[in-house]
Amino acid sequence: MIAHVDVDGRPEPICGMDQWMPAPARILAVQTENFNTRTFRLQFVDPVLREQFRFAPGQFNMLYAPGVGEAAISISSDPARPGVIDHTIRVVGSVTRAVDAAGPGGLVGLRGPFGKPWPMKQMEGHNLVIVAGGIGLAPLRPVIYSILNERDRYRRVVLLYGCRTPEDRLYAHELEQWEDRGAIQVLVTVDNATAAWTGPVGVVTNLLKRLRVSAQETIVLVCGPKILNRVAAWKFLQLHVPPSRVYVSLERNMNCGFGRCGHCQYDKFFVCRDGPVFCFADIADVFAKEEI
Amino acid sequence: MLRAVARRRQRAAASLPNRDAAMKGTTAMVVSHASPGAPRFLPRAALADLVTLLQDEGFTVVGPTVVDGVVMYRPIDSPDDLPHGVNDVQQRGTYRLAEGDPELTFEFASGPDSPKRFLFPPQQQLMQFRVQGEGFEVTAGPPDVPKIALLGVRPCDLAAIRVQDRVFGQDDPATFRCESEPWYEQAREQTLLVAVNCTSPGGNCFCVSWGTGPEAHEGFDLSLTELRDGFICRAGSPRGKELAAKLPLREPTRTELDLAELLMNRACEHMGRALDTASVKELLEQKREDSHWDEVAQRCLSCGNCTMVCPTCFCSTVTDVTDLSGEETTRVRSWESCFTHQFSYTVAGPGRDSLRSRYRHWLRHKLCTWQDQFGVSGCVGCGRCITWCPVGIDITQEVQALRNDSTSLPAPIAPACAFSSEGSPP
Repeated sequence: MIAHVDVDGRPEPICGMDQWMPAPARILAVQTENFNTRTFRLQFVDPVLREQFRFAPGQFNMLYAPGVGEAAISISSDPARPGVIDHTIRVVGSVTRAVDAAGPGGLVGLRGPFGKPWPMKQMEGHNLVIVAGGIGLAPLRPVIYSILNERDRYRRVVLLYGCRTPEDRLYAHELEQWEDRGAIQVLVTVDNATAAWTGPVGVVTNLLKRLRVSAQETIVLVCGPKILNRVAAWKFLQLHVPPSRVYVSLERNMNCGFGRCGHCQYDKFFVCRDGPVFCFADIADVFAKEEI
Repeated sequence: MLRAVARRRQRAAASLPNRDAAMKGTTAMVVSHASPGAPRFLPRAALADLVTLLQDEGFTVVGPTVVDGVVMYRPIDSPDDLPHGVNDVQQRGTYRLAEGDPELTFEFASGPDSPKRFLFPPQQQLMQFRVQGEGFEVTAGPPDVPKIALLGVRPCDLAAIRVQDRVFGQDDPATFRCESEPWYEQAREQTLLVAVNCTSPGGNCFCVSWGTGPEAHEGFDLSLTELRDGFICRAGSPRGKELAAKLPLREPTRTELDLAELLMNRACEHMGRALDTASVKELLEQKREDSHWDEVAQRCLSCGNCTMVCPTCFCSTVTDVTDLSGEETTRVRSWESCFTHQFSYTVAGPGRDSLRSRYRHWLRHKLCTWQDQFGVSGCVGCGRCITWCPVGIDITQEVQALRNDSTSLPAPIAPACAFSSEGSPP
């Protein structure tokens, strides 16, 4: 049997009056990140739920567009301020289009939070390398907020972020802030530069050349498209970071969020419940396999 | 809530020792709360009394009936509706009803239907609501749980119910409220189960391989073993004992008991198929990559029939159905099949694009990863997936082929193939 040792530490999901009933939430504000990605700031309509809702970095909500359906979206706001919830969404499907169409003031629904979070406790006292590709930065933003909130709990922190073009950067303003504060080192690379871009060009793993990573004291967090996850994990293993200190967040089709509907199965795991954050050591035998 | 948890724990505790006994294939009776009572004899004519008694207790009696040339579970008024004198011929991809012994009522094996439909309906309304001002106004919940007595449940299907109990978290206190399934729990508590042991197994049956049949040892209220003049009847629960007390039962004769035992032994010897279940989990752990998956993919049509007839398959999808105005929304949960493309679909495309990977997922889930997830096999040996596969893919043969086949494909070519769980790649 798969052990769910950490399950008791997770916050209780908020599910309206029933396991399948989303709780109503208002869109407070919408921030356009790039050509197809926006960050929606949400707040539960019910003030009691606003007080109750807690989440850990890396967890996700089932975001509901009334009459359309649900999509699993990671939470990208500060866990220390759970009264407002940010969801950064690529507007590409029926649910995300409907949420986008609702706009500021619109009514949506939320069930959650679901899933296994990043290992924040284990990360304390370690060097951290955070590798994000494209929208993969969204589930890592709560990690960065948590680090900034209690900076002295962690050692050196590096964010390696890759995206297609400089215009595609998420949270562009904040990336600069984090860098300027000197609290964490931020390295951004793009696939295609623009005239104004003076930073590095190329895949995100190329940035590793600019780092000296001490394998023994480092924890690596990776979230991006499948190919980035694979290559990044592989590179760090090559640098002798043990598999038990490499963490990857995976994306699957999700419908229920609590391991009941079967959609997100990944070998023996239900990604919604046993993930989306996995320790590499637990998935090493299937990670490189196609169509698991 | 606490009461429900306590109830679940009680049920789990009561059912475990017996399951182990059944798994070992022992017929020794384990003296416990759930063990079947002493065998009694129900004369054939008194089957009508049983149906009437259940109806008087407020149950809708559901039993096997012949519908469109197959045996399906449908509400029955009297034993006259049962398939008397009907036998079935089941082969790979074949199901035909045949003329059986006119004096027997339960001479057939599993049809396409299973009790799963009554505990976990193929399509079910979860709730109905409308957007109203600052929130969602719920106008209707799920339908009421019907009070059903299922007559003629086969031992493999009883085992399948116990498997689904684990899937729906009934053996294990839910950590969070969202993980509990109140509808399933109520249906499970309310539904009365009258098992019928299998005296003539079908051509695709292999319950003996899993130790789930042909005789039921637990998980029923009443069990029947059909003889010519009547049934050996056992009570398997307090509710079953109460019912038995109201039936015109008599002591069975030594001959009748011997005959019932003989029939069970004969059924064990007449399984249409056999599955080598020893270390099947380990086998499939090693066979993630194997040329045999390509071979199956050339035959599999990805129709999903196997998942629709399987009594343990639990995958589902919740969809929103709106009225024309778009104001009133009904959330509906429907059975889903892992053989469809959209099952694993994300923006990046389907997680399992090739047919090979979808068949592999299904088979490995049933026989291997299910055990990691729920501590029990996802297969009970009913043989439905073999019968209802339009091209006759046979789970027992595919496992055998995987066992015999040593020509595994090389690992995929990618830098990532150098991953190992032990340490850094070369």
